[in-house]
Amino acid sequence: MKYIGKNIERTDVVSKVTGKATFLDDLFLPGLLYAQVLHPTMAHAKIRAIDTMAAEKAEGVVRVVTGQGCSLSYGDNIRDLTPMAEDKVRHIGDAVAAVIADSAKHAADSLKLIKVEYEPLPIYIDAREAMQKDAQLIHENNGQYWHLDHIHPVPGTNIAMHYEVIKGDAEAALQEADIIVEGEFNYPLGSCAAIEPHGSIAWFKEDGSIEIWSSSICPTIIQEETARLYGLPVSEVRVHIPDIGGCFGYKSDVVIEELVVYIASFVKGYPVKYVTSRKEDFTSTLLGHGIRTKMRIGATKNGQLLALKAELLHTTGAYADTGCNVLMAAAHNAGGSYEFPNFYANAYSVYTNTPPVGAFRGYGHAESHLALECLMDRLARKLGMSPFELRARNYLGPGKMNTLGEMMNETNGDVQSCANIIEQELFATPKPTEDIDYYYGRGCAAVMKSPKGAPFSSKGCYMKFNIDGSVSVNMGGGDVGQGLRTVVRQVAAEALSINPSKVHVYTEIDTQFSPWEWQTIGSMFTIQGGRAIIRTANKLIAILKRTACQVLRVDEDMLEYDGESVFYKHDPTVRVAVRDICRGYIYPDGVTIGEIAQASSDARLPLYSNPREDGRGRLGVTYTFGVQAAQIRVSKKTGEILVDEFASCFDVGKVINPRNIRGQVAGGVLIGIGASLYEEVKFDNLGRILNPHFGQYKIPRLKDAPGKQFIAFVETPEQIGPYGARGIGEHPVVGVAPAILNAILDTIGVEFNDIPVTAKQILQVLEEKGRAQHGD
Amino acid sequence: MATSLITLIVNGVKRTIPVEEEEKLIDVLREKLHLTGTKRGCDNAQCSSCVVVVNGKAEKSCLLSIQGLEGAEVFTVESLASQNKLHPIQQAFIDAGAVQCGFCTPGMLMRIYALLNKTIHTSKEDIRDALSQHLCRCTGYETVLTAGLLAQEYMLKNV
Repeated sequence: MKYIGKNIERTDVVSKVTGKATFLDDLFLPGLLYAQVLHPTMAHAKIRAIDTMAAEKAEGVVRVVTGQGCSLSYGDNIRDLTPMAEDKVRHIGDAVAAVIADSAKHAADSLKLIKVEYEPLPIYIDAREAMQKDAQLIHENNGQYWHLDHIHPVPGTNIAMHYEVIKGDAEAALQEADIIVEGEFNYPLGSCAAIEPHGSIAWFKEDGSIEIWSSSICPTIIQEETARLYGLPVSEVRVHIPDIGGCFGYKSDVVIEELVVYIASFVKGYPVKYVTSRKEDFTSTLLGHGIRTKMRIGATKNGQLLALKAELLHTTGAYADTGCNVLMAAAHNAGGSYEFPNFYANAYSVYTNTPPVGAFRGYGHAESHLALECLMDRLARKLGMSPFELRARNYLGPGKMNTLGEMMNETNGDVQSCANIIEQELFATPKPTEDIDYYYGRGCAAVMKSPKGAPFSSKGCYMKFNIDGSVSVNMGGGDVGQGLRTVVRQVAAEALSINPSKVHVYTEIDTQFSPWEWQTIGSMFTIQGGRAIIRTANKLIAILKRTACQVLRVDEDMLEYDGESVFYKHDPTVRVAVRDICRGYIYPDGVTIGEIAQASSDARLPLYSNPREDGRGRLGVTYTFGVQAAQIRVSKKTGEILVDEFASCFDVGKVINPRNIRGQVAGGVLIGIGASLYEEVKFDNLGRILNPHFGQYKIPRLKDAPGKQFIAFVETPEQIGPYGARGIGEHPVVGVAPAILNAILDTIGVEFNDIPVTAKQILQVLEEKGRAQHGD
Repeated sequence: MATSLITLIVNGVKRTIPVEEEEKLIDVLREKLHLTGTKRGCDNAQCSSCVVVVNGKAEKSCLLSIQGLEGAEVFTVESLASQNKLHPIQQAFIDAGAVQCGFCTPGMLMRIYALLNKTIHTSKEDIRDALSQHLCRCTGYETVLTAGLLAQEYMLKNV
């Protein structure tokens, strides 16, 4: 292959290093107004009264908006969201009122003048509290909201979704097991913490249409939901997506957009911009994770896995629309990379008075892998078996069936080869021995991730040849920094046999021009988008051949294409240049024949379905497997955990761009390290977030990065993806926490089940065991 | 609201700008001069996305009150490339693969610009420490550090 597997330069780097990349907050429009939003002082309360009089008279204020009388509700899974609180607030980041003013500062200043009277209600921070029998309902209408058929709310409770995955008889098989390991693990609430906060602009235009700009990767969902809410044809809502400063999950769904559209509906004719502060990015967008997993695994004494039983409790937040699928993915994939003949996952998404949970890189997989992969290491210890050996005996592979009932084959990838590479890299030599300052150890985890898609999760592609033989490619995939537009350039160049410098890739998304794209989520763009590009390229080539066969007077199937020309394969001197037929072929007298060389196509995951009654079905379709491992040292003095080396190997089918894929893995691993060692959103008893700022909520800096990242790939071609490639975006996060917890167990002999594991906790256990070293 | 005039040299050009009393440099750059390459990523001076060079020093523009800056010489990311030719630091970030979403990139570029312009023979540790003041959620930082070192190498070659 000519361009696949090469470090082709990213399509967006020059604009990004010159400060010309245009993010949401960099946009200015004629007549632009600014909104700021008032949030409650407690996380669960009835709104008794709102007094906006003083704010309305403040300098620069155009309009004050409240949710009173706002009966709009939205959501594409459970319609439990409203743009602004009408009569009660359910979490600390809810919108109670908004001020529209001539500047963001004036809007912010006048927010303080709004008086709200609340009647406090009990506040539930954790799913376990909200599930108690006497708990007050956070949604009195739970069960009455429109929802997808396979989501089962439990009316009269705070359970927004009860979901089960059933394969065989897990309980009976556990009774038969020689050995059982079990534990309760917690992956707490975290923030995706992209450096660019969320922002949107909405504009009700005089012609009756609505125009929206947003830092989002679901323009189509925003378009469709907005049209439904305001009674417009979908075609009358236009959504633009500018450059996006990182996503990691929480810009995947409708987040602040319907709030901003609602606010703008009060000042028709004027665009209104709202960009969240960092604090609001924590309180008023989406959080991630919040899944507590109780798991039991049974095996024979030879290390054959017999059954897995899990209960998953999701602190899903005040609204469950964006969280229910995260939990579903956690349940689907709680069996990880292994064949469990018997499997039962019992999952509850529970309304709580915390900000709603949405996607966070890993999407449920990291959460259930924490339990699974820690227990696998503990099982290996109990069996006196190496963790690699135990895993090797149970990996999914050709002819084995996963928990969802999908039969694996060779093209799903080779986890064993990944394990071999990781074992060789980190475990082939004895671990460093304890010294005066540190204990040393290492641990591994296997990883499996499949996309949580939807049956209609297609990606569209439009391509045209220009008159000089260059090609323009237009798609709807949101480039959040992962570099998917570079993948587009490389796949298109390869498919059309033209130099990547002649492939121009779209720079922004606009529903008026962009091909249809569901949401750019689930690590699915390369696999689906890449396939869509190849299909479109094949259509383009067919068009060129149809025109060329008339010009050359040779049958279509006798023609070949080489990027420059179409020619008769038995006599290449009989040829016509692409540039001469891309607008049709023009004879000297001006008469033109043939077609314009432009085409569109799309691709989805074949046979992807809704879940059946037992929670199973064709719900993964494509899988990426891998193995990750950490070598750490633990400071005897401070309890600090230093990751000396982190190793990752994934079977990605085909590496499209070595430098970009390494960047994806290195970045994903560091997000996993942050989650393992320090990231947790904390609340007080009023449901206020205690650490809604960088620094208080620590995300890793350069000095926190591992001493070394070993990153390798196995390339077993996948059936669907372009040139055999499969997804990789989220996977590097998934195995990090269990690899580190297993390394801690190896280092100091202590089992931790909850992350983050902080230096303070480590020091405490070292002191309890008399293994700390007190310096002076 | 009290408004006054202030004069700054921004990217080599004298600019006289009406400013408000409590205004910060970042807002003047972004809202008044539309130099939007300088980014805001946080509320409390932690992320360094807004770093610009003021009188030769890398500064967080979200912290600097405009009132104290009369006559100051300010360089933003928009000043780095000239005549469509990229600055060696920009080229280094591209070549190292240090740009993903690009939101934190301008701040890092300006930090390295200030550091290397002051002492081109600075140590690897200094470059590492300088970049440690920046938050990046995409890269895992290995390419960012490589870019900082490569920038020094490129600038040394050009000298």
